[in-house]
Amino acid sequence: MGAVTDDEVIRKRLLIDGDGAGDDRRINLLVKSFIKWCNSGSQEEGYSQYQRMLSTLSQCEFSMGKTLLVYDMNLREMENYEKIYKEIECSIAGAHEKIAECKKQILQAKRIRKNRQEYDALAKVIQHHPDRHETLKELESLGKELEHLSHIKESVEDKLELRRKQFHVLLSTIHELQQTLENDEKLSEVEETQESTMETEPKP
Amino acid sequence: MERAVPHAVPLGQVASCSLSPQMEVFQALQRLHMTIFSQSVSPCGKFLAAGNNYGQIAIFSLSAALSSEAKEESKNPVVTFQAHDGPVYSMVSTDRHLLSAGDGEVKAWLWAEILKKGCKELWRRQPPYRTSLEVPEINALLLVPKENSLILAGGDCQLHTMDLETGAFTRALRGHTDYIHCLALRERSPEVLSGGEDGAVRLWDLRTAKEVQTIEVYKHEECSRPHNGRWIGCLATDSDWMVCGGGPALTLWHLRSSTPTTIFPMRAPQKHVTFYQDLILSAGQGRCVNQWQLSGELKAQVPGSSPGLLSLSLNQQPAAPECKVLTAAGNSCRVDVFTNLGYRAFSLSF
Repeated sequence: MGAVTDDEVIRKRLLIDGDGAGDDRRINLLVKSFIKWCNSGSQEEGYSQYQRMLSTLSQCEFSMGKTLLVYDMNLREMENYEKIYKEIECSIAGAHEKIAECKKQILQAKRIRKNRQEYDALAKVIQHHPDRHETLKELESLGKELEHLSHIKESVEDKLELRRKQFHVLLSTIHELQQTLENDEKLSEVEETQESTMETEPKP
Repeated sequence: MERAVPHAVPLGQVASCSLSPQMEVFQALQRLHMTIFSQSVSPCGKFLAAGNNYGQIAIFSLSAALSSEAKEESKNPVVTFQAHDGPVYSMVSTDRHLLSAGDGEVKAWLWAEILKKGCKELWRRQPPYRTSLEVPEINALLLVPKENSLILAGGDCQLHTMDLETGAFTRALRGHTDYIHCLALRERSPEVLSGGEDGAVRLWDLRTAKEVQTIEVYKHEECSRPHNGRWIGCLATDSDWMVCGGGPALTLWHLRSSTPTTIFPMRAPQKHVTFYQDLILSAGQGRCVNQWQLSGELKAQVPGSSPGLLSLSLNQQPAAPECKVLTAAGNSCRVDVFTNLGYRAFSLSF
């Protein structure tokens, strides 16, 4: 047990060592000089020793005050850091949320971009084809030409029919005439033969 | 897609002292020639499944690899198992199962059980093929959550719909003249888009099971690149818009009018494309993941670690916002993880 507490004591002393070597020695010196002063005889020596002790005491008090102030300062720094830590945590959470928001926005923007590009692709294809109004106009004019031409064709056909009929009439009359002429010839031939037979008969 | 010869492979992380030098060489060779075809994120968002050309599926723990105490071992798979005999071309996740498909069959695994060793598949189904001699591969899987069904498409040029509850195959949509590479779902009107080797993107209405629209990409001279072929390697759709690429240049189409609106100036054929926010991400032949704006400008090109990339996966599961990453995998045994679209954070390795 003694060894443990000794170790603890040694550890603590070594820890406080930085400033502690001076302070510790000062306190030990103070105690020693107090004992010496109690045991001393003469008045002036006692007075000077007393003054010296007072100064050592004030030095010790001064260093203690300093350490207390440092301790206070550390406490306040800790509080400050705590506050900053919490703020940073909040801003991290905020940044996470913003990132999620932005990701959603990116997806939306990508969708929009895709739609635009699809539109552009279709528009390109459509542009290759000629304008609808123009084609309609062309179609109209072509239709009119077609009508006109079909009118002409009809009239020509009518004329053709008429001529054909006229020729038909002409040819049929010619044929009839030919027929009558042939008939007439035949009749005249028959008459001639009849006459010749009539002549030869009464002779014998 | 070609098939790889299946190997019997020693799996998982075996301490190197118990492996003979021959096995080490074998494993190293395997890793050299590995191609990762497909990826899928778990419903909880914390795990990533990757399927390679040897038919193995590896499950990586994204939460462990992204956490602040990640070590080198967190970049290795938590578990690897042999899922198929042939390459695993496509994987999707429902809210409880991992569905993987490759060599003509689709198998289902429970996410809750998958982390335990010796996981067995929950079920396996094969769509009704016309010829039973040759089993065509399944290149693409698509989940239709409204009907709770799965669409498979691949080598037999048809789209098969399978109801996930009953396991019955309900429809077979015919129209493609060559095998199908990729599928996409158009949410609003439940339509499925499929792109194939024949160069056409066909839209199918699921309710009437008929082909609604066909876009023959190679016929449009703005985007066709005959020297690359006419195959459509990748498709993505955003209801009114569709982006497709492969042989022809990567183009953005307006579906209603079937017109190509923007052509992205990328010479290398792209193998995977997806819409993300206001960007289009694409990857293909070439190290980089390309980020395009809808106007056709290249916003960024971020290099990965594989010489060519075959699949991109965006982990947008709401349950794990801290694992929101883009993962890219392709012609190597590594899966690149991008935490921010601007740079490659690290790579997970088989």
